[in-house]
Amino acid sequence: MTATRQTSGLGFVGQRVMRVEDERLLIGDGHFVADGDPTAVLHAAFLRSPFAHADVVSIDVSAARALDGVVRVFTAAELNARTNLFPPFLMTNGLYAPLFGCLSERRVRHVGDPVALVVATSRAIAEDALELIDVDYEELDAVGSIKAALLGNAPKVWERAKGNVLGDFTDEFGDVAAAFDAADHTIEATLTCPRQTNQPMETRGIVVTVDPDDGHLDVRSTTQAPHFLKWALAALLIDKPTLRSVGDFVRNKERRSAFGAAAKEFVAANRHRLTEQDPRGLLSQVRADRSTLPLMNRIGAGLLAAADYPTVRAGDIGGGFGSKGPVSREEIAIGAAASIMGQSIQWIEDRVENLLDGGQAREEQFRVRVAVDSDGTLRALDVDAIIDQGAYPGFPIPPSVTAKFWKVYMPGPYDFGAFRLRARTVATNKGKVVPYRGPWANETWMRERVIDIVAAELELDPGDVRAKNVLRPESMPPAMITGPTLDETMSAAKTLDHALAMIDRDELVQQKSTAEARGHRLGVGIACYHEAAPGPANFWSSIEPGSDLLLYEDGRAELAADGTIRMYTSQSPHGQSHQTTYKQVAADEFGVSMDDVEIVWGNTDRTQFTLLGTGGSRGGPLGAGVMRVTARNVRDKVAEVAADMLEANVSDIEIVAGNIHVAGVPAKGMTYRDVAAKLAADDGITSGPVLTDQVRYEGVGNGGWSVATHVAWVDIDLETGEVTIPRYVVVEDCGPIINPGVVDGQVRGGVAQGIGAVFYEKHHYDEHATLMTTTYMDYLIPTAMEIPEIEVVHLETLTDGENDARGVGEGGMIGAPAALTNAVSDALGVQVTEQHLPPYRLLELAGIIGPD
Amino acid sequence: MNDLTIPLTMQVNGTDHSIDVEPRRHLADVLREDLALTGTHLGCEHGVCGACTVLIDGEPARACLMLAVQAEGSEIVTIEGLADADGTMHPVQAAMHQAMSFQCAFCTPGFLMSTIALLRDNPSPTTEEIREELSGNLCRCTGYQSIVDGVETAVELMGSDR
Ligand code: FES
Ligand code: FES
Repeated sequence: MTATRQTSGLGFVGQRVMRVEDERLLIGDGHFVADGDPTAVLHAAFLRSPFAHADVVSIDVSAARALDGVVRVFTAAELNARTNLFPPFLMTNGLYAPLFGCLSERRVRHVGDPVALVVATSRAIAEDALELIDVDYEELDAVGSIKAALLGNAPKVWERAKGNVLGDFTDEFGDVAAAFDAADHTIEATLTCPRQTNQPMETRGIVVTVDPDDGHLDVRSTTQAPHFLKWALAALLIDKPTLRSVGDFVRNKERRSAFGAAAKEFVAANRHRLTEQDPRGLLSQVRADRSTLPLMNRIGAGLLAAADYPTVRAGDIGGGFGSKGPVSREEIAIGAAASIMGQSIQWIEDRVENLLDGGQAREEQFRVRVAVDSDGTLRALDVDAIIDQGAYPGFPIPPSVTAKFWKVYMPGPYDFGAFRLRARTVATNKGKVVPYRGPWANETWMRERVIDIVAAELELDPGDVRAKNVLRPESMPPAMITGPTLDETMSAAKTLDHALAMIDRDELVQQKSTAEARGHRLGVGIACYHEAAPGPANFWSSIEPGSDLLLYEDGRAELAADGTIRMYTSQSPHGQSHQTTYKQVAADEFGVSMDDVEIVWGNTDRTQFTLLGTGGSRGGPLGAGVMRVTARNVRDKVAEVAADMLEANVSDIEIVAGNIHVAGVPAKGMTYRDVAAKLAADDGITSGPVLTDQVRYEGVGNGGWSVATHVAWVDIDLETGEVTIPRYVVVEDCGPIINPGVVDGQVRGGVAQGIGAVFYEKHHYDEHATLMTTTYMDYLIPTAMEIPEIEVVHLETLTDGENDARGVGEGGMIGAPAALTNAVSDALGVQVTEQHLPPYRLLELAGIIGPD
Repeated sequence: MNDLTIPLTMQVNGTDHSIDVEPRRHLADVLREDLALTGTHLGCEHGVCGACTVLIDGEPARACLMLAVQAEGSEIVTIEGLADADGTMHPVQAAMHQAMSFQCAFCTPGFLMSTIALLRDNPSPTTEEIREELSGNLCRCTGYQSIVDGVETAVELMGSDR
């Protein structure tokens, strides 16, 4: 299919339109969470455990309390008594989900575990006070690795769990044993990926402002999911007006109906969670930990009237990459403290805290068997995978959910006849694991690395093995063997063919020998994948029955009485340029200029409830989709009114550059302002909307796939182990592009994080689970010197949806580690089995230095 | 805390300021909190990320590593001081806008300041020199290519200006 672009109106969609956000951000006029008036709030700091695993014997905060400028010190016992525990969420069968409070009272489970909270007149004073708190710890043996966690006599991270394996499931698709019996070869490998961390340049932060009259909380936060934070604060803070005034609630009709409305909103938003959550999962959890049920009851009873929900607002956010999606213990602690004190409090995380517990990811290992024929035909994939979740699961998306993604994704865009996955989730005494840009990405790394191992073993070309096995449009089965419907128009094969054609094999031979002559080694590596962005309708039910949470997006368009066009999105952008791209989409639909459209986001009072915000590559397909549909609906209503006013047929109405007129007679046109004024006059409205359209947009049916192939060339200096990347190509297809400048940025940023993961970044815990990488001197984020130019080729297939744009935010990071480690393997002529390859490791693999 | 403060006089973005500061506070905090110039960002507070970079007497410096009192008598320029009074962006800002250099833009103040210093000392740097000079600033979103493009666009814009 040829690349076509959907454009209408003035045709902003598809253009490289400069960013609207930059008009404020480039002049230093952004509104980040830490930018408020510091004298208007109190400042918080957390005391954190220096030990990976210890009992808290005693805590003495008297000296801290006595310090000038300290307003309040909360111990864990004090704060936990006035908050609910974090409930299990996204339960799956057999998973033990530990319950935990916002601070740790009796036991600490990782270095950085918060045990007390100081609130003072300045952050410096709060930090001074931390040093005056005396905690007596009794150190326990810590679990520092997956291996240690699995030892029979390993200390238990969670006492009520059976051991450190919190979850363990096996799923099989097709007949794996038969496929291995029938295949010519069985090839095995064990692959490991160390811990990484998301590291947005802005740390986390929250400012909770308390209304002195009614105690209402107004929360500014770096959250990727404002509505979820609102819900979590409502559910977990016990000190709430509702519970303090049950009598008032019973007597007051208005309050009762407000409660009803809020409950309805909550239930609607959680429909599937409440009715279809895997009951076996919940059951197994209750069996494992009986305190779950009363906790759920308490949280349920805490349902608030709408007015009692906090308002959460997210302004400009300095990146997140998944780490700002979860609700953190600190956020609940600050919300509780502010609510208890009736005073406004700000907490801005520092970088050391962010490295300790701001979100970590991807510490995983895979034992893999592949059944393959001598000609390279892939028959079956059998994987035994383990995830190191750290101590506390991220909330609401625990790391165990990654394994569920793997179950669906692992065969990738290839024709494996059979597939089996056993996946275990293991607790260790480390920081919490959160989604990190393509949270499931290691399925691609594992599979693409293994395909190269297979090719090497069979002495075949890795490109040929891929080309032979990739699902092609002409022979594409209706669905993956793991469930989700496929779409032959969005095939990874197209990107693979295109990418392979960009590798000049003769030139490569030449490049390799030139490199060798300089004492270097050069290699090329390929990675091919497809990603659900957001996926077909049955993608999420393949992951977990009933979990179609991510498949829709609510949005609203309105024409205000003064003629302003406003678009309301529940997304919470943090660098993805939604304000620009949504203006492009809406302006085209309305037939106006981008300046005529206002985008409203990040404020839970103004946008629709959703448990998700920005994440999961949904901003393009679903977020922009609902903008398009609602804008079109309002535009059509406007055209009807205009047709009436102009005494014309609505089908003859044209809107060009904001001029609403009968086709061919632009001189007798009117504006949105005129139409709004007419409607306002008719309805006696002076402000607010005169036309509104609200839609739950459900995406593009069976489409929703994004596909790509990456090719990396790496050059390794055998003297120093230094790596350069002479060329890096991404051939991607995310459907028609709204703004190529934005898409290029997303792809390149993702690849850069992949380069970081492979060559520079490793979040290193020693065997006692003490974090060694607590500054940017130790955790190395690549600079402009290390990240090369990245060529991006867009294929832009048009499929059948109303809004064909596919997600593209995560793909860069999904493909890069595989392409890079494959290139290193090719360069050095060895099969790499770990994802992180710093210079010393490259020299070891090259046989230049011996292993230590 | 003790009430010991030290008087500090400095010029920021062309305006003279005389304030009293605690000697332990760093310059970035004083700019952000006392002068409400929140365009300068704090990414690491340990001198690596470069988000806090400002120009002190024309030279780029990390405002998180410097005590405010060390700025006594100096002229400081922050991101807020770059555009003209009528709001026209500085050519480096305009170039970064054109090049779609940034995403979340948390790193932006640092890159702008480093670029301005770079182009003052070397008005037509090679790509290699740009990458080298900007390697003291971290960006987690972009992969840097768009920022390098922005600097190259700035070279063109400023060349044609002069
Ligand atoms: S905040 Fe100053 S260098 Fe990072
Ligand atoms: S644009 Fe986000 S850190 Fe640079």
